Amino acid sequence: MSERKNTNEIYTPLAMRDADTLLEVNNLKMHFPITEGLVARVKGYNRAVDDVSFHIKKGETLGLVGESGCGKTTVGRCIVRSYQPTDGQILYHNTVDEIVDLAALDRKEVKPYRKDVRMIFQDPYSSLNPRMTVFEVISEVLKVNKLANQSEMEDKVEYILQRVGLRPEYIKRYPHAFSGGERQRIGIARALITNPSLVVCDEAVSALDVSIRAQILNLLEALQNDFQLTYLFISHDLSVIRHICNRVVVMYVGKVVEIASGLDIYTDPKHPYTEALMSAVPVSNPRARNKGTRIHLAGEVADPSNPPSGCYFHPRCRYAQEICSQEAPLLRDLGGEHCVACHFAEELDLVGVRMV
Amino acid sequence: MTEIRKILDVKDLRVHFFTDEGVVKAIDGVDMFVESGKTLCLVGESGCGKSVTCRAFLGIVQPPGKIVSGDILFYHNDEVINIAKLPPKGKKVRSIRGKEISMIFQEPMTSLSPMYTVGNQIIENITLHTELSKEEARERAIHLLDQVKIPNPGRLVDEYPFRLSGGMRQRAMIAMALSCNPNMLIADEPTTALDVTTQAQILDLMLALQDEYGMALLFITHDLGVVAEIADEVAVMYLGKIVERADADTVFNSPKHPYTQALLRSIPKIAMKREELDPIKGMVPNPFRRPDGCNFNPRCPYAMNVCRERVPGISHVDANHTVSCWLYEQDAVEEKAGA
Repeated sequence: MSERKNTNEIYTPLAMRDADTLLEVNNLKMHFPITEGLVARVKGYNRAVDDVSFHIKKGETLGLVGESGCGKTTVGRCIVRSYQPTDGQILYHNTVDEIVDLAALDRKEVKPYRKDVRMIFQDPYSSLNPRMTVFEVISEVLKVNKLANQSEMEDKVEYILQRVGLRPEYIKRYPHAFSGGERQRIGIARALITNPSLVVCDEAVSALDVSIRAQILNLLEALQNDFQLTYLFISHDLSVIRHICNRVVVMYVGKVVEIASGLDIYTDPKHPYTEALMSAVPVSNPRARNKGTRIHLAGEVADPSNPPSGCYFHPRCRYAQEICSQEAPLLRDLGGEHCVACHFAEELDLVGVRMV
Repeated sequence: MTEIRKILDVKDLRVHFFTDEGVVKAIDGVDMFVESGKTLCLVGESGCGKSVTCRAFLGIVQPPGKIVSGDILFYHNDEVINIAKLPPKGKKVRSIRGKEISMIFQEPMTSLSPMYTVGNQIIENITLHTELSKEEARERAIHLLDQVKIPNPGRLVDEYPFRLSGGMRQRAMIAMALSCNPNMLIADEPTTALDVTTQAQILDLMLALQDEYGMALLFITHDLGVVAEIADEVAVMYLGKIVERADADTVFNSPKHPYTQALLRSIPKIAMKREELDPIKGMVPNPFRRPDGCNFNPRCPYAMNVCRERVPGISHVDANHTVSCWLYEQDAVEEKAGA
């Protein structure tokens, strides 16, 4: 991370767009070095996240979508500070009404915020340690951060287990005794035990069966109301995002291409990539088969270590013109909280999902 | 396209797994048929036995699993072959596997061998089943890769699978599966590991190739969106049994079995107003302790006494729509009594 500037030395008062904002990500960059040879000489950077900006309002569910490899998980991991971002700000409005830049904090300084920003993982099997009981899994964070003593911990774990729909008697069991849906509930309990304000759900329901997925989605919505949670919901499943999110951020090769409300992004996409993505989603009724209207994207997703010039999407874009290969479009606001990074956002007449 | 005929007829198939903890009845009396030129989707949650069913069709059920009874009749050149009765390692079944019936697996990352080039793996299948020489087989492999729209097939034929992306690997798998002009193609969740845009490409490709080759497509998936997109007919499986079978439009718009209805209510729909999801209550029962009577009765909102005691038979709603549920057997019984 040699590229990193030490922002702590320069004192600038941090400010957010408004008081309703819980988290504001500004020009976030996460570049992973690509090394070569025995001495690990750096021969290039994989720009997994390259200049990403968005904000999350208090109490909302923000969706983060894109194809695999677009950097959506990396953004989530930067926010929970599993990664030290290369550059940019992650402004967080903390519980005592201060604004802190999570990206600028070092390992020690970030510790108090670990309980505020929590994560739910994709795979309910590999994300629980098989050698720890349910109690140990859920209470570990309380123990490590000295947030409760033994008897308080037991009460808290029992309470949270009930809230996620598991019987408190299960507290001494090991994860292998549970089904996928139950394990995911344990993962949710682990995330919520510290009473967080922001929960990053990284493909939290992708590994579950349809009937279980509906149960978990309903549970997440109920818990959001009960605990005033804010979710960053990372998923590649556009039907799930449509169901649960208030606003949606679409990413392509480490960049944000479009931000809009949950309905607008589906019915009124302004970026050609979003349009193609929407047309590829299977609609669950044979009467709505969109034969012939589907947009075929040519080629493959660009390589983030060697992206194309100009707009990263231009080699696959059917509306691409000369300027697209020369100039990278900036993310700009079209009004009504609809932001797009496309030179021709106003001129193009794009088709969204037809509502039934 | 040639005329539609039955090419596979499955009668009362049972596959049981004899584990140390007990017997798992993974498939417990499946009746189904597959027709040429049509796409049949087999839907169900994980563990319902859909993958085991199609593995049985190829005689590749893994131990401790075993076909314990039933028939898998494969119609081939006026000959009827009962795959269920063939020894799984015998010559006969091996001449069908990969030639007459071929299969595409879910994981394009693990189903290709990392030790051989893509071309080698396709050529192996061609030389094994046909009289073509190695050079001719290579020509054919390149032609197939071109047909599945792999760019620059002449170069990619000599590449190892790790050089290809997920979508490209799945295309290579399809090329391999089609290499001997199969009568039937079994696709086990072929797009589940892919992104939506790639998934759309692969689905369109498979349908186009089906039109061209006129083969039957048995498509296994848990994604009802995909089913709606490609299926002619749909068979819904729950715990080792087919609970409902009809054409796609009927299954989605007037499903009869409570499980099918519940399944459809539990999925988030992209093109509709947001409303709360209605999940199926309870969980899939433990495989060692299946409920008595109808398998679905502990989760069924309409469960009656008879459902907890006896297994329902198959009722015909109309000629092409069958359902296995007491609600409809009861109707049939009353109708008969009335007449």
